[in-house]
Amino acid sequence: MSGLTFRANSAPSERLNLSHLTPKRIAELSQSELMALNVGTTTKTLKLGDVFTVSGSAGDSVRIEGATNRMDFVGSDLKEGTVIVEGDVGLSAGRNLRGGRLDIRGDAGALLGSGISGGEILVKGSAGSLVGGLSPGDKFGMTGGLIAIEGDAGDRAGDRMRRGTIYVRGRCGSFAGSRMVGGTIWTELGFGTDPGMLLRRGTLIGPSVERMLPTFADAGDHDIVILRILSRYMASVLGAAAPKALPGKVRKFAGDLATIGKGELLITS
Amino acid sequence: MKVNGIAIDDTFAEAFGMAGTGVIITADTMKWARIAAVTMSGFGTSVIGAGAEVGIDRELSPDETPDGRPGVRVLLFGFSPESAAAQLKTRVGQCVLTSPGSACYAGVDTKKRIGLGQGPRFFGDGFQTSKRLGKSRYWRVPVMDGEFVIEETTGIVTDAVGGGNILILGNDRVGLLETAEAAVEAIGGVADVITPFPGGIVRSGSKVGSKYAGAIASTNDAFCPTLRGRVKSELAPDTIAVLEIVIDGLTSDSVAQAMKVGMKTVLDMGAPKGVTRITAGNYGGKLGQYHYKLRELLP
Repeated sequence: MSGLTFRANSAPSERLNLSHLTPKRIAELSQSELMALNVGTTTKTLKLGDVFTVSGSAGDSVRIEGATNRMDFVGSDLKEGTVIVEGDVGLSAGRNLRGGRLDIRGDAGALLGSGISGGEILVKGSAGSLVGGLSPGDKFGMTGGLIAIEGDAGDRAGDRMRRGTIYVRGRCGSFAGSRMVGGTIWTELGFGTDPGMLLRRGTLIGPSVERMLPTFADAGDHDIVILRILSRYMASVLGAAAPKALPGKVRKFAGDLATIGKGELLITS
Repeated sequence: MKVNGIAIDDTFAEAFGMAGTGVIITADTMKWARIAAVTMSGFGTSVIGAGAEVGIDRELSPDETPDGRPGVRVLLFGFSPESAAAQLKTRVGQCVLTSPGSACYAGVDTKKRIGLGQGPRFFGDGFQTSKRLGKSRYWRVPVMDGEFVIEETTGIVTDAVGGGNILILGNDRVGLLETAEAAVEAIGGVADVITPFPGGIVRSGSKVGSKYAGAIASTNDAFCPTLRGRVKSELAPDTIAVLEIVIDGLTSDSVAQAMKVGMKTVLDMGAPKGVTRITAGNYGGKLGQYHYKLRELLP
């Protein structure tokens, strides 16, 4: 895997928009064009060369070192290749990702993976609110791909999500899967309050719920074949980092019956 | 030419281009995966009369199936992708959906796809849901023992081969059948092929046409031992029975390999069982685009 490495010289003086830093985009630029890219978000033009030292040669990956939570839109619109981030990222990392892999080796801010339709986003730390969720102006949240978070996820993960999978090795905050119309959210340590509010379709999986909405109906214990496929899918994508296979039997709650009620909340313990 | 005392005709099997597809059927146990697979394969002998040629390719261990349960791979061959898709839809709907604990997945991975769950999902009457994981979409249809999971599409091979064959002739009907059974079992070890007739063996080889209007095929009188003397027979005086093994495969190479394996078994064990000759069925080479010369397939 070859590619350019961008090392931050110091903490940025303003929030940065790093949506340009994908392997394909920077491969189309000369060195001078690259260094002159505007990565600032204020009226004061901040060039990439003012913030980063660049090394290596263009290839199928991009590495960002010394990243902070003031760097937004990292890995945005990635279609192929890999973006590796050493450190934290800010808002909307992996926004509209369509393929490839975004590997964040720190924490992520709000709207991680908003609008993604393919590829994978891996987060070593925790993520803020609205993981895979709806950004203003969009019709849906994520519509495909996989977001895997080693730590916790904030509130409203998967808001208006349509397809794809969010895996949280830690805990999900409140209102996970709100307004969701499809896809899967799987947490290892449980959901906060009111998961699945206005859930139309889709699957929420976890060992516990802090407070269950009254509009979810107990459907009993079941051996659900699709969960076996889900476990195998996760193993195929994440390899050794994949979660342990789901148990044979789960307790199913159908909802949200305040809407069409074709979604489900599956309790694994 | 003789090998181990068995004559091998200087001829060839003539086979045809077909559309081939496949599914993986899983269940709680191999017994029930097999029951669904056998039921789906029923009445799937000849594409002419049955609409499709269907059979079990092989059993799959839990490691090889999408849901980690025991499974069976079934292959289905039709005249065209459209006719194969129509047969697949009705057979899966009637024989797999109905079988306890079953699930059904794509068994062929090609870019060109045909519907698999697109019909059976409507059995869910609006309660069905789907889940897309990676590139695959699965339908979950509520049924009385839980959920029937079925993948939305499966692959279709448009240059598959149907009608590879060997004819085994001999002077002991029981010994001939035992030899043919062993050959079919050996062919079962070749990937991507099926032997669609009962137990993999045909006793009613056919010729094109009939004296009766409307019948497109009729008994192959030249190979019927009881007609010797009445017709221009292809059989030696001591031949009292002929059995045929018909082979369909997703690739021409797999059909050739299956014929090779089948012939080897017959040559290895056939002579003491009364096998005297191996030949093959063809139409003079004018109808089918695939020709498998027996002597080039000798082990």
